[in-house]
Amino acid sequence: MITDKLTVTHQFLEELAQHAGKAHFMPSDEIGQALQCLETQGIPNSKNESYKYCNIEAILRKNFKTISGKEQVVSFSEIKKQYAVQEAYNLFIVNGHICTDELEVSSAIKASPIQEISKEISAAHLAQYAKSNTDPMIALNAAYADRGFFLRISQTLDKPLIIHHINSLEGNLFFNTRNLFVIEKNTEAQITEFYYSSNENSFRNTVTEIFVDTQAHIQHVIAQNTGAHNYLFANTQVHQEKQSTYTNHTYTFSGALVRNNLKLDLNGEYTESHLYGLFITQQQQLVDNHTEVNHLKPNGQSNELYKGVVAEKSTAVFNGRIFVERHAQKTNAYQSSKNILLSNDAVVNAKPELEIYANDVKCSHGTSTGKVDENALFYLKARGIGEENARKLLLHAFAYEILEKLPTPFTKEKISTWVDEVLR
Amino acid sequence: MSNEVIEEHISNEYKYGFVSDIEAENAPVGLNENIIRFISHKKNEPEWMLDFRLKAYKHWLTLEEPKWAHVSYAQPKFNDIIYYSAPKQKKKVNSLDEVDPELLKTFEKLGISLEEQKRLSGVESKIAVDAVIDSVSVKTTFKETLAEKGIIFCSFGEAVQEHPDLVRKFMGTVVPYTDNFYAALNSAVFTDGSFCYIPKGVRCPMELSTYFRINAGGTGQFERTLIVADEDAYVSYLEGCTAPKRDENQLHAAIVEIIAHKNAEVKYSTVQNWYPGDKNGNGGIFNFVTKRGICLDSHAKISWTQVETGSAVTWKYPSVILKGDNSVGEFYSVAVTNNYQQADTGTKMIHIGKNSKSTIISKGISAGFSNNSYRGLVRIQKGATGSRNFSQCDSLLMGNQCGAHTFPYIEIKDKSGVVEHEATTSKIGEDQLFYCKQRGIDTEKAIGLIVNGYCKDVLNKLPMEFAVEAQKLLAVSLEGSVG
Repeated sequence: MITDKLTVTHQFLEELAQHAGKAHFMPSDEIGQALQCLETQGIPNSKNESYKYCNIEAILRKNFKTISGKEQVVSFSEIKKQYAVQEAYNLFIVNGHICTDELEVSSAIKASPIQEISKEISAAHLAQYAKSNTDPMIALNAAYADRGFFLRISQTLDKPLIIHHINSLEGNLFFNTRNLFVIEKNTEAQITEFYYSSNENSFRNTVTEIFVDTQAHIQHVIAQNTGAHNYLFANTQVHQEKQSTYTNHTYTFSGALVRNNLKLDLNGEYTESHLYGLFITQQQQLVDNHTEVNHLKPNGQSNELYKGVVAEKSTAVFNGRIFVERHAQKTNAYQSSKNILLSNDAVVNAKPELEIYANDVKCSHGTSTGKVDENALFYLKARGIGEENARKLLLHAFAYEILEKLPTPFTKEKISTWVDEVLR
Repeated sequence: MSNEVIEEHISNEYKYGFVSDIEAENAPVGLNENIIRFISHKKNEPEWMLDFRLKAYKHWLTLEEPKWAHVSYAQPKFNDIIYYSAPKQKKKVNSLDEVDPELLKTFEKLGISLEEQKRLSGVESKIAVDAVIDSVSVKTTFKETLAEKGIIFCSFGEAVQEHPDLVRKFMGTVVPYTDNFYAALNSAVFTDGSFCYIPKGVRCPMELSTYFRINAGGTGQFERTLIVADEDAYVSYLEGCTAPKRDENQLHAAIVEIIAHKNAEVKYSTVQNWYPGDKNGNGGIFNFVTKRGICLDSHAKISWTQVETGSAVTWKYPSVILKGDNSVGEFYSVAVTNNYQQADTGTKMIHIGKNSKSTIISKGISAGFSNNSYRGLVRIQKGATGSRNFSQCDSLLMGNQCGAHTFPYIEIKDKSGVVEHEATTSKIGEDQLFYCKQRGIDTEKAIGLIVNGYCKDVLNKLPMEFAVEAQKLLAVSLEGSVG
């Protein structure tokens, strides 16, 4: 069994190595360790507990046995024309590479290719929050990432920052992207990442490490609408220092597979974290949201709300874990996940976990799955609203609880149109 | 919580830890085909039973011990266990006078009277008891009264002899020997247990009860219980267990199978009080048990109620397969861990039939250095339209050296299914304590009061006699645990 699995891994790595070099910007012992982890664990399949419903190995075997894609050259002015948002700072990432003529977007924002980060930054942050030994997909990224960007925010931003992820490829391609965000002390920022759809068959394995320094307050929106043939593995690993706030909003619309691994380490006292998620899935999509909130210091607070509308033959997975360290007393951690199933071929798998070692805490989780509320539907129909419209109205209302948490008007508007599109 | 209080708490004695001096007949140490043949021969079993055991043994050899539970322990050395130990006694006991007096004393000490005095003194609630010590059933009471109604309640060994057709028809249908590592082991070496059959339309007039006790050192206990309720039948079944204090870890790997036919109801309650080990985590029972029931046809109901206070390591998931339409599954559990105890327990509710309903109420209490996990699965299969589940898992932490964990798996494949799950973790509220103390109730009693209130939903489901015992047990288990 194990040898079988490793052959698949080996074959895949050989194929990948022809198209991507090793991640040379990574500390060399990190690459060694990552390869070691891959060697022992292999590409995860449904035998791995955290990939129970998300068999990466099968996807790679089926769709990425050979990697034959090519990146296409795009004109910067064109994408700027198409995507740039007036009232925000814009950063364009094409096929994982940073693409801009002015790297200093503002004096408060510094953005550069990940390969160009300084030794100090690399030593202080790179591979500090996303550890290869915790997940083979992080190991794969650590060993083979050949692109990505570094972002530093040193002052409070007067406008939101929007990061546009655009894919422009030919054929099928697998690539590893490594990003690092450093948010410095006493800053406030709103960062939105848009993943736009494209038609090619690609697998993006992204690891983003985020360091939130003392008293920094960050709103981070990730909106994924990558198209029916795209596979996106988004690993977001956040490290929070004391008295900081990190709020994550994750929206998932289209994509053959979208797997979000969101891990928060609350590594200072009085930290606060919020996690909001909305996924609307259809066709044969698989959306797998894994969140992990680690309360490592006392007096932390976390609050999580994930909602999903699961239609047609799609599958949605929610796995939320709250971990409270022994001395992280006075922790308050809440988690809630709600799902609506619209079809008998759709599947919801939920696993909210609590792992608690401190006694003076208040932790709870709740999850519910069901259909559209018949009473509410009846109420609307009794007032002359047709069944179809009434149902849509209720689904919009269901989604709105998450949408209303969005920080910037532009983001809210953009994401609302995506919600409208999929609920149509 | 102050250290001295923890100390006081930990020093609580396990009162069932005595060893009875009963002459026993043992099988040689170890596990191989000959041992299985030996057990089968000792029990005078028919050929098909031996075949079943050997098949299970061969399958077991291909399996690896499961590692996924949130517990850590040294793997039992399966070749150092005595798989058969029986108190020496005459071939067949006809009346209590013939039972070894030492044995009677044992059960007397455990608070279980094998003598049928209760009936004579006119106490309304009657309990029929099947007492199993080490590997064999010693005595089943009230057998004749039950037989009048057509109810079969006897030891498993006896059932194999006297009702082979029934045993053969139902054994292994809910928990096949291929189910898991310990189920395979049990199927190969099980020695005794209880068998219970309630015929069509009969409501069992009294509680049926089995009392398990491990007595001999170096042995493992592998019993098998099979409960079959035919159409429109009802039975309430109780199980209790204790073991002497020993430095070694003794293995207990049981199988319980429940089959409920159309409109039948089975209520299964257990107070598990195996020896939990000493305050340093030495000794204690490893309790690796597979319990599962199936609602075969419509309107069947299976209800599990458990109070878990004992065992060094517990690994137990009483489950219900809701195959019939409109069938009902229930799981009520209180699990208390203290010192270095570890418990990974919960349930599985598999909804297959239409409009099937399940309720899960689990209350975990951890104290000392213990770890207490709830692990459960709720699955609504495609086609199980209108199915409903409600789960609530609460954990109470006493002290800052223990852990409480929840791992619920929820898999829904039908759009009309409604599943709700809630879990909370907290300590005993300062304000609740303050309120009690302010009214002149000392801390100790206040804790007992609050814990009992916290567990009330589950304790209420226990039959009367058991509920009283369970309440006392909770109080003893948590004495001194001022949060």
